[in-house]
Order: sequence, then structure tokens, then C-alpha cells
Amino acid sequence: MDETVAEYIRRTVLKIPRDEIKMMLQKWGFLSEAQLQTLNFRQIKDNISQEVVQLCEENSADIKQAAALDIIYNHIYQNKRMWSVYQMKKSGEELECFDITDFKKKFKRRLRSALKNVTITFKEYEDNAIWIRVAWGTPYKKPNQYKPSYVVYHSQTPYVFISASMLKSNLPLLCQALIVASNYHDIREMELRSHSLNSLKDIVFKRYSQNFQTYTPKPLQGGNIEPEDADIRIVHENRSEKERIHRLNQEVFGSGPQPKLEFAQYRLETMFKSDPKMDVLDKKEPFRCLVKFSSPHLLESLKSLAPAGMADAPLSPLLTCIPHKARNYFKIREKKGLYPESFVSP
Amino acid sequence: EKADPQKTAFLLRKAWTLYSVTPLYGFRRARLRDYARLLGAFIAAEKQKGLAVEVGVELDIKVALSSLAELRGSELDQAALLVQLSSRSRASSRSSEDKPLWSGWFCSVFGDDLSENVPEHFTCLPLFLSHGAESYTSLVGSWFQKTFDCCFRRLAISPLNLSWMVAMWAGCQLDRATSAVELVFSVPRLSQPLDISYAIHPEDAKALWDTVQKTPGEITQEEVDVFMDCLYAHFHRHFKIHLSAAKLVKVSTSVASAHCDGIVKILHSEYLPGVLMLLTELAISQIQ
Repeated sequence: MDETVAEYIRRTVLKIPRDEIKMMLQKWGFLSEAQLQTLNFRQIKDNISQEVVQLCEENSADIKQAAALDIIYNHIYQNKRMWSVYQMKKSGEELECFDITDFKKKFKRRLRSALKNVTITFKEYEDNAIWIRVAWGTPYKKPNQYKPSYVVYHSQTPYVFISASMLKSNLPLLCQALIVASNYHDIREMELRSHSLNSLKDIVFKRYSQNFQTYTPKPLQGGNIEPEDADIRIVHENRSEKERIHRLNQEVFGSGPQPKLEFAQYRLETMFKSDPKMDVLDKKEPFRCLVKFSSPHLLESLKSLAPAGMADAPLSPLLTCIPHKARNYFKIREKKGLYPESFVSP
Repeated sequence: EKADPQKTAFLLRKAWTLYSVTPLYGFRRARLRDYARLLGAFIAAEKQKGLAVEVGVELDIKVALSSLAELRGSELDQAALLVQLSSRSRASSRSSEDKPLWSGWFCSVFGDDLSENVPEHFTCLPLFLSHGAESYTSLVGSWFQKTFDCCFRRLAISPLNLSWMVAMWAGCQLDRATSAVELVFSVPRLSQPLDISYAIHPEDAKALWDTVQKTPGEITQEEVDVFMDCLYAHFHRHFKIHLSAAKLVKVSTSVASAHCDGIVKILHSEYLPGVLMLLTELAISQIQ
């Protein structure tokens, strides 16, 4: 077995938490059940990985099998990576049947015609997701297995999720190969990025509960209209205000769980407007700002601002449009004309 | 009083943790060498007792105390006092250089409010800044406390003072302002915590401040409030969020940056005295 393959397998196993190694090796299926029985999973990881490498040696593992193990690890720990979303466009209305074999063949051919040294691995998952792992080399160097790109493609949709970690120069090539293989004619990057791959899917596939409810859903356990410490000092006016805020929040965010995003970024190039009495800045040029919101769960956090008294209800459309515009990077400029107070986001 | 940029270069671009220090009793400038020796012995003894600062590494810790006459506001201020800990590994030869481990310095920049009311034998150096491992800060602090009967306290910076700093620093004239004027807010008490970074182009922030400040060379609380209200209003116009209700935790400009936990970084030597004067004032308020 090639020693670089051995080292790569050793390092991949080392990344896995000890309690999960057995499960992952089973999913991998390269080592037989009998071989797995011989492994002592209670020793330190260094030793476990050495033993795994030895068994792989017995089975003559090559880079293809090693790459397959890496895909399995990254599928389970997908949230460790940052994912960007790309959307592909078809030129016409051709309805073609998707053929996975054809896709793989075309993808490999397109990449290999441009770059000889690449390692390409595919794995299909139950939810119609095709995972592609590409390790990149140069005309003179073998592929770097430690900085591969991952692509997740749902063949029934025009969306591709890419986690790059590579030289930007290889990205156009990757995109090219994708559209050729899937019979699209164009691809563009969306302004949408997150660690949570499932949340990105929820957003573009519109799988989250949106603000058009035709029925009144059962309230969740405990209800979420009043906080746990319902204050008896809250009189009727305050209560109706609380209910108004809650209702507006529901309309805008829906009542289900929000997709999980960690940040949203706004590049503001709008004018600074102030009360003329204040006698301050009155420039004709934009007041340039960069605003970044971060949270372990951004949308839930924004949703709780108005009830906490930190924001007006309804919250600004700049924030509430994130899921249905499927973006979390924005450039905001002043809109000219009828409504000088409104903004346009190209 | 302009400090020699060469001598004070080591102060720039480092994150300093701030403390207020009550006046030192019985401190004598002439005895700096003695103090260095005593402090060194104290540190060695604490290490023997098992208060190891570096595990598994044999280190001789060298202590140096020096005065920085340039670092003060006026003649009424005491000259700054610098404490430096460096290490020489026992394994390496005598000719190898000492590795800087930790530094801390006491200073007073226009600290007359404190020094004019203090009895004889007391030395006023109300601001202490440290850079390096917390364990060394603790050792040095303990020795000073025991030897000069003084008291160190972490200096937190309130949102009010942070807004004062950002207004002041945003208005500074710089040849080349490279960094944005950034304000970082935290909203912790939500179901999911939220951090908001609000960064303004330095030219635009300065332009705003210039129209707010009515008398050059002088800043009033009212002007700072107007400046902040403008920023809050601009933010509210877009996002409908009341930033004034969030907690301002950090401000950052091309001149300096400051964090509410009492950590500052000074980037421009030209503004060093101004920043130190403000921090001295904060330290004195905490003492009194």
C-alpha cells in the first residue's frame, strides 16, 4: 500500500471521535466484520489508527478507498465546513431524465481533460444527494488529499452546495464540470453561506415553515406567547402589545423552527439622514457601513428581538427577507423615487 | 509632553490589560535595582512552592525595573515605571538572549486629581497595564501589594466610556486611516445570543464627528451623545433595532481599540498621551 495513502487513512481515523470510529468503519465497509472484531476500540486513538492502517494494508487499500472514508467523515461532520450555494440555469425547457452514470462520466471527463492530477470520488445518499469529493493537483504534482473540495448536488434541483478549501483558481473548473455533467448552461454563486448544510437546503428548497399559514397550528408545549415568568404586573395594554408583537412575528417568521444560519452581513451605501434641527452631517455621498450580525442561531435570535423590546415589530424586511430571498450577504443602496425611505438590494 | 517614539514603540500594537492601583507607600526610585532583585527572589520562591508558571520547562526568570521619564502628562506626574520579566533557559548557553516573558507598567498621565490629595511617602501611579500570562501578572501584583501596601483592581470600561473613546478617536486626524470605526454590541439575554458589528468607513465617521463637535480641542458629553444617537438612528432606519438598548462591548479605530473587560490596544504613537490620559482618569475614578 502506498505510504501516502497509509498516512492519509491514519490521519482521517485520528480525526474521528473514539466512540464513533467503529460505526464509521462499518459504514465504510472496506474492512470485513471479522477484521473489525480484531480491533481494540478502547485503546488510545493513536494505536487504533495504527491498527486500522495495518488492516488496510492487508486489504491493499488505495486512494479511492481512502477518499471514500473521508467522504463518510465529512458527510457526518458536514457542519464543520463552510458551505456556499450555487444555482445552475438551463437554457431551454428540455426535460431530461437524470442519469447518474452519465453525470459521473461527464464530470470526470471534463475535469480530467483540464487537469490530469485529480482524485474524484462519488457517493450517493438516500435523500437524492450526490456527494462529490475532488482532491486537486497540478500538472506536476499529485493531488493534495488534505485540502479537497466537496460538492453536494441534489439532481432534482438546480442547486449545488460547495465547500471549497482550495485555491480559488480551481473553482471555475469545478463549476464548468458541474454544468457540463448536469446539462445546464450556466452557474452562479448565490450570496448565501453557512456551516449548516441542512439549513441551506431548507432555505433554497423552501423546506422551512413560511409565513403563509392557512390553519392555526397547535401551540407548542408550554406555548410561546408569554415567557415562563408571566408577570402579573403586565396589564391589559401591555398584554395586547405583546400579543400584537407575537402575531406580527408569526406572520413574518412563521411558527415553525427557523433554518440555522450563523451570520448575515450588510454592506450599506445609503445616505445619512438626520433631523435638520440636529445640524449634523448633510453629505451628498453615502454613509458607508458594514454591519454584521452573528449568533449560534441567527434567525431565532432576530425573531426574539421584538418580544424582548430591542426592536420594533414588524422587524425590518432587510432581516426578515433572509430565508425567502435565500441570501445572507447584502449590498444596500438608496432607492430613488417614490419611497425615499425604502432600500434596494441588488 | 511628547514621548520619544523609539522608547515607547514597545507599547504600540499590543493588547494591554488594565488595572487601577492605589498609591504606593514607601516606594523609592533610587531602589529600583533592589526591588528587581527582591521581586526576582519572590517569583523564584513561589515557583519552588509549586506555583509553577511553566510546566516542565526549567526557566530562570530575570526581572528588570526601569523608569520611563517621558511617559507622563506633566511634571506633577510620576514617571512611568516599567517591569519586565524575561527568561533564560538553563539549557542554553550564557550568550543566548533573554526571551521576553511578560511586561507591565505603572503610569500617571495628568493624574493630578489623585496626587494632589495624597499624603507624604505615597507615590501615585494609578494606571497599570500588563501584557503576558495572567499567572505572572498575579505574581508581580502580589509582590507590589505586599511590599507597598497598595491594591490592584481590574479596570472595566463602561459603555459610556467606550462611546466617549470611539467619538474621540473617530475624530482624530490621521494621514491614512486604514481601519474602519467599529462598534461591537452584544445582546446576551435573548434565547440565542446575538452579536452586532457596526463598522463605519473612517472618513465618513470623521465627517460626522466634525459636524457634531462645536469647539475644536474640546469634547463635551452632549457631543458624544449626539454622535452616538446619529449612529443609532442610522442603524434603526435600516434594521428597526434599538442599538442603544444593546451592550456596547468593544470599540475599534485606527488610533486605538478598547474592550469593556478593560483591554486596550494603542496603534498610533501620536495619540498615546491622549489615550493614557483618558485611561488614567478612569483608573482614578475607580480608586476614589
